[in-house]
Amino acid sequence: MMGRPTATRTILEARASLLSGLRSFFEARQSLEVDVPAIAKAPASDPWLDSFAVSDPAGLHVGYLLTSPETYLKRLLSKYQCPVHAIGKAYRANEQGSEHAIEFTMLEWYRPTPIHPFQAMVSEIQDLVETLTEYGRPDVIAYSDVFEATYGLNPHQATTDDLVGFSSNILGAKAAASLDFDSHLNVLFATEIEPHLMNHIVINFPAIQSALARLERDGADSVAKRAELYIAGREIANGYHELTDAVEQSARFDEDNRRRESLHRPVVPRDDALLDALTSGLPESYGVALGVDRLLQVMTQSKTLSECMTFTGHL
Amino acid sequence: MASFSTNEFKSGLKVLIDGDPCTIVENEFVKPGKGQAFNRVKIKNLKTGRVVEKTFKSGDSVEAADVIDLDMEYLYADGEFYHFMMTDGSFEQHVADAKAVGDASKWLKEQETYLITLFNGAPLAVSPPNHIELEVVETDPGLKGDTAQGGSKPATLSTGAVVNVPLFIEIGEVLRVDTRTGDYVSRATKK
Repeated sequence: MMGRPTATRTILEARASLLSGLRSFFEARQSLEVDVPAIAKAPASDPWLDSFAVSDPAGLHVGYLLTSPETYLKRLLSKYQCPVHAIGKAYRANEQGSEHAIEFTMLEWYRPTPIHPFQAMVSEIQDLVETLTEYGRPDVIAYSDVFEATYGLNPHQATTDDLVGFSSNILGAKAAASLDFDSHLNVLFATEIEPHLMNHIVINFPAIQSALARLERDGADSVAKRAELYIAGREIANGYHELTDAVEQSARFDEDNRRRESLHRPVVPRDDALLDALTSGLPESYGVALGVDRLLQVMTQSKTLSECMTFTGHL
Repeated sequence: MASFSTNEFKSGLKVLIDGDPCTIVENEFVKPGKGQAFNRVKIKNLKTGRVVEKTFKSGDSVEAADVIDLDMEYLYADGEFYHFMMTDGSFEQHVADAKAVGDASKWLKEQETYLITLFNGAPLAVSPPNHIELEVVETDPGLKGDTAQGGSKPATLSTGAVVNVPLFIEIGEVLRVDTRTGDYVSRATKK
């Protein structure tokens, strides 16, 4: 049958209960729930995110569907300097599979935290998992520890030449030779490490994967202050100790477009509204994005993401 | 040469990997939130039957394999090769070697229809129908009165296959056999 709901009644009930559980969790922590537009003027600049462009009936360009509500939430954070969260749809073109959908539900939250924001973020993610799921409190491990345990290399010191041998085993020599350092790390992490992370928060990522996270010295290494939650071998949430420096943000944006060019992917217009928000002042804060459908998938032990979505295959 | 991009991957697709014809069994899209996308694919080598896991960079292409499955009637064996004929009225004949026929050799019966997998026009594999009716050519005499329960005994069928059958089965009877498991199913209804 075409177009009928695909989730079972039981899954819909679990979904409703998870959504209300998430709302209670943030309400209890004095976070302001906001709903933001689905369309933004500028798309995300991350080299590996593809945004849908929106046009009007005459074919004129209107904007881009959000790949996450980040730009709006940071503008709110800059103006009101209070904890905010949003639960809504996000859209990512070309992502379709048993754990991906082009349209999905994302929870994203930001919290101004003047002291030790990174530690506060990690413990808030732990609290969330402990409160809302039966998985208990996630263990915290450093990216370098888990990478070294698997490949015998310090990922912060390694070079592309050090990684290409491992990638060749997975992709074949020809495909591996075409990868940049970041993609080597991604293929190695996704195939040999991620499937074994049952309830873990991985912290301190290689600098090249900083996106919009702070960089910090950790001994001899420069690490990105990112924290990612994995449950049952799946990536569930991604948190940053946020950049607040507009100059640095602008440089990261240019760097993203340079990488897009070298990867033969389209360059994107600059998000000036986001830069304005940083210029007028973002508080010291952290931000986390969480895939609600994925979390429901692991909580209900469903084989595919689509079983956890109300409608699928409707497009 | 035709090729398929990873975003066209789906189960059943026939592709050429290291020169061997393969079929995609399972295709998994893998992508870290902030990173390059990959396809983790389970692939069955149609020559060896082995299933391996391979990872591709999303967007990469692989060559299509010229593989088709066709219905053909089994004609005869000449000692070295097995001869089949198309059932589409063209009477076109194809010759398969022992490697292509493989385990299907013990289920080959004249005038029966088989699924022949052709790779670059030559038979690569032969699949028998799931159920086939064959005559018993050799088995120990049945025990009188034992018509239902209890024991089994080996019986050799007209194609050379040996299957376990109930004790009441006798030489000359036609049996229905499951070729996937090699199990006796029932007596065939008398023609």
